[in-house]
Amino acid sequence: MNWSAVKPYLQVAKNTWNNALTYRINVLMWRFRMVLQLLATYFLWLAVIPSNKTVLGYSQSAMLTYVLASAVVSAIVFSSLVGEVGEEINKGDLSNYLLKPVNYFAYWLARDAGDKAMNICFAVIEITLIILFLRPPVFLQANVLFIVLSIVAIIMAILLYFLMNFLLGLIGFWSSEVWAPRFIFFTVYAFFSGGIFPLDILPKQFFIFFQLLPFPYLLYFPIKLYLGQLSILEIILGFLASAAWLVLLYKILQWGWKKGLKQYTAQGR
Amino acid sequence: MKVISVNHLSKSYSVYKKEPGILGTFKSLVSRKYETVEAVKDISFNIEEGELIGFIGPNGAGKTTTLKCLSGLLYPTSGQVKVLGYTPFERKAKFLNTISLVMGQKNQLWWDLPAMDSFLLNKEMYQIPDTQFNEVIEELSKLLEVKEFLLTPVKKLSLGQRMKMELIAALIHNPKVLFLDEPTIGLDVVMQKNLRDFIREYNRKYKATIILTSHYMGDVEELCKRVIVINHGKILFDGLLSNLVKKFASYKRVSIVLEDAINPRILEGVGEIEKYFFPELVLQIKKEEANKILSKIMKEVPIADIRIEDPDVEDIIRDVFTSEKTKI
Repeated sequence: MNWSAVKPYLQVAKNTWNNALTYRINVLMWRFRMVLQLLATYFLWLAVIPSNKTVLGYSQSAMLTYVLASAVVSAIVFSSLVGEVGEEINKGDLSNYLLKPVNYFAYWLARDAGDKAMNICFAVIEITLIILFLRPPVFLQANVLFIVLSIVAIIMAILLYFLMNFLLGLIGFWSSEVWAPRFIFFTVYAFFSGGIFPLDILPKQFFIFFQLLPFPYLLYFPIKLYLGQLSILEIILGFLASAAWLVLLYKILQWGWKKGLKQYTAQGR
Repeated sequence: MKVISVNHLSKSYSVYKKEPGILGTFKSLVSRKYETVEAVKDISFNIEEGELIGFIGPNGAGKTTTLKCLSGLLYPTSGQVKVLGYTPFERKAKFLNTISLVMGQKNQLWWDLPAMDSFLLNKEMYQIPDTQFNEVIEELSKLLEVKEFLLTPVKKLSLGQRMKMELIAALIHNPKVLFLDEPTIGLDVVMQKNLRDFIREYNRKYKATIILTSHYMGDVEELCKRVIVINHGKILFDGLLSNLVKKFASYKRVSIVLEDAINPRILEGVGEIEKYFFPELVLQIKKEEANKILSKIMKEVPIADIRIEDPDVEDIIRDVFTSEKTKI
């Protein structure tokens, strides 16, 4: 890849970062909310699982690590501005990008990179503070292979989430009601991704069904990889499912984007 | 060299109607009535390199739709559009590098950041070398008198200042084809003139092809030799501005300074009195009968001074749009 082709996207990421800084209070409040949520789940599990017992297959340390890790991974995977795509299409702001020699998908990936960088900084600080003050029995993975695998899974999760979000935005080409589907999506993925609790504590038949959906690969799968709690078969199937969803969603996105552009009315004036 | 060619272009949208109020909202949830709006109907025209063309029409005439088709934003319902040999909707990088669309009511600048940040982004997108970038920014910001605001967040700028920044952002890559949709909107009289001068200069200096739409006839009159008049999605006139006047001005304006007061009654049947305020009298007379009527006036009215002229372009245009019966 050549350098001058990447530069515009670096500038986009930089602008996004600066843009977020102009809303410092907003960012702080948002992070405060995340910390509260995290602490609530954290203390819940601390109370439910006694320190020397295993509940639903999880020791206290494993569960608390899961909860803390899910906070970090959420900050990486779910911090995204792509939700604005629908509105941008609706308002006609998409025109600004269509007029320039710029790839709209890469543009949003770059914006997300800027936004994620900001959120990751905060999440790291928060988790460090929590670990320093609460001294939870965190499980540290020593096996490098598991760490690498979970990083790969996180990258796939970022792309997966990006594609899903972008697809929802495309609704803007056909309808001005882009918010309602997004709202449902938020609720669905918060639960099915394993953000509230690890999915394998559910009854087996539900759990198997959920694994066919793309959501567990956003959060549950990378964290479990880190914890080293998956069998080789589970790891292979997990990556295969995640990759299959990536390809499928990408194809749908391309198709929908082409269709949408023919529909596009560049409204707003 | 033909830069733009449009052949039988049509574009229609489907829009849905909603009755006002909560009831209307529910109704539109259950059954939605869609309507096809033909924004542009079968229009054709060609534009040569270096031409500066005025696109005139009332609101909703199809001007902006045409510009959007030309710049590749819209997929034509039917017909063919070529700009510099490219099909705009394909949006090839080479095509996008040579055009720019400025919409007076639309902003591309990042709202919370200084305009300079947006300029830098455009610089990278269009891959403009540092020296050229600095030159352009220097020249344009000086000319448009916004140099001291380059580092002010866009949201803190006035409408006029923002409009100028938008213009700079649109010109950073030195486009050869420029679509200006209401560029002088929100600018004061002095700035309007500056901007007109600038557009003329840009056209001359770079041999840029420019299409301009504007509500201010002044913009068009001062800048454009050729105009395209469009209404209800159809072209009513395409040609020199001076021909437009010849073709559509159905009357002449006769301004008279009177020697003595007259009874306006004696002018009945001669023409329409636009103004009578002694000693000034302004008449509108039919073009075909101008000679006959004039000699009659000369005989019957004590004249100190007389001037015969074509009506204002603005008036002509208004007449064209209000009496749509006028056929080419």
